[in-house]
Amino acid sequence: MSDSTKETEGTVIPYTTNDSSMRAELSEIDRSIRTASVFFIVSAVGWLLLGTVFALIAAIKLHEPSFAVGTEYSTFGRMRAAHLNSMALGFGNNMIFGVCLWIMARLCRAPIRHGGLLLIAGAFWNIGLTIGIAGLIKGDITSVEWLEIPSYATPLLAISYILVGIWGVMAFRFRKGDHVYVSQWYFLGALFWFPWLYVIAQIMIIWAPAQGVVQSITNWWFAHNVLGLWLTPMALGVAYYLIPKVLGRPIYSYYLSVLGFWSLALFYNWAGVHHLIGGPVPVWLISAGIVASVMMVIPVVVVAINHHMTVVGLHREGWRSPTMRFVVFGAINYTFVSLIGSAMALRDVNLVTHFTHFTVGHAHHGAYGFFGMILFGGVYYMMPRMLHREWPSASLIKIHFWGSALGILLMVFALQIGGWIQGLEMNNPEIAFLDVVQNTMPWLKARSVSGFLLLVAHLAFAVNFFWMLFAAGKFRTKNTPTLLHTKEEGAV
Amino acid sequence: MPVENYLELLPIIVLGVFFFAVTAYMLYWAANRGHFRNMDAQSKVIFTEEEPEGELSDSFPSKR
Repeated sequence: MSDSTKETEGTVIPYTTNDSSMRAELSEIDRSIRTASVFFIVSAVGWLLLGTVFALIAAIKLHEPSFAVGTEYSTFGRMRAAHLNSMALGFGNNMIFGVCLWIMARLCRAPIRHGGLLLIAGAFWNIGLTIGIAGLIKGDITSVEWLEIPSYATPLLAISYILVGIWGVMAFRFRKGDHVYVSQWYFLGALFWFPWLYVIAQIMIIWAPAQGVVQSITNWWFAHNVLGLWLTPMALGVAYYLIPKVLGRPIYSYYLSVLGFWSLALFYNWAGVHHLIGGPVPVWLISAGIVASVMMVIPVVVVAINHHMTVVGLHREGWRSPTMRFVVFGAINYTFVSLIGSAMALRDVNLVTHFTHFTVGHAHHGAYGFFGMILFGGVYYMMPRMLHREWPSASLIKIHFWGSALGILLMVFALQIGGWIQGLEMNNPEIAFLDVVQNTMPWLKARSVSGFLLLVAHLAFAVNFFWMLFAAGKFRTKNTPTLLHTKEEGAV
Repeated sequence: MPVENYLELLPIIVLGVFFFAVTAYMLYWAANRGHFRNMDAQSKVIFTEEEPEGELSDSFPSKR
């Protein structure tokens, strides 16, 4: 136990307390949630590969309309919806359930109870999603963005979510010690906000649809908050746990981290209506959304300062860690994507970016460049501790990192530069609309190239993951069950 | 909009009040339990004997 931790005794009970009744060994906690977490990550990897294939088909169709024709199942609208839901609900949510619940269990300092509840939730989630995405490809799309899943599949997803929510509350209720670390605030906040968002969106859009623009307002309030109050807090919670944990250095300012959480909680909920700038919506509502979007600069800068100051001086060590490569890349992109998002909410900027590929680039920047990369980092940290094995191949980890990093950067640059040009041209009445469409072709082709880079990265990740999972015993660590080898060879 | 039409929104308003009340209570609970005090110490609770402060706990797997 470090001296500095000893000094904290009496005020905050550290894990390392001598009171054995208050202490829960991490490996014991890891073991208690292992089956459920591994199940979720296996599912996430499957959806990731499937979602990438759907994405490639949709992306290629935008510049090669004759690609994959002959059946209605592979039309652009269905492939796009199948991609979005495979990635957001299949990959994203399974990663959240796998990584965030594991960190939650660790921070609650107690082996989990009722792990079977999580397995049932996982089964419901993935069965429901399989039925839902098969329905999308069959043509049963609701036509509401981010809520495309047909209504006959949503009850299964709802039951699953309720079970996860109940588990989260129980884990928190039976935690050891009174302390709540900032990551737990983020996880609990997200677990609490999501049902509110989902229930209201279902009521006002699907079950008893509101009339007129209220439906659109609800739609974008929901869709933007899925990113801001579900994916974002989950990824930030992971980053706030892993950055100090991997580097062995406490977060630079715990005060700033708490400030960041509460300002996100206050401001983000209002921001979604900026998607309707220029629409027939009351001006005060749009203005409130713009103000909230700009106010988001506060939590973003707070998080950026905190993460940067925690890592400063330890960049070399961070680069040697697979986890840190992904998490720091994601954290840097959180800063950029959020600041770009705030700028996009300004009326003058939105005048150009609205209805262009710029927005598509922005969504991928946030969902993949920030959220996805941090959760990848979480898997790289979690799996060796779950399975007591090393990752089989450092090379495959590097292929994954570089493929993902270069792929997403190429996609964001292509779509945002191309989208900006597209927006300027659309605002110019002297340029024919078909010429504007034609001019987007090079950027869309670049996006397809980025898709192939991401496919290579995802295949490398999947091969490494299943290699590690099924090569039982072959890659077992020698004597440090919760650590990877500390030798630095192989880091490039 | 006639007043009776707003009554259709009653379930949403009740849910909204409930969620707001829970959030306000959580903030009160956290402040009351001292979660906004002694913050430097609280940032160290993630370290353990197995994964202690001051040690790098992740690196690339060794070549075999």
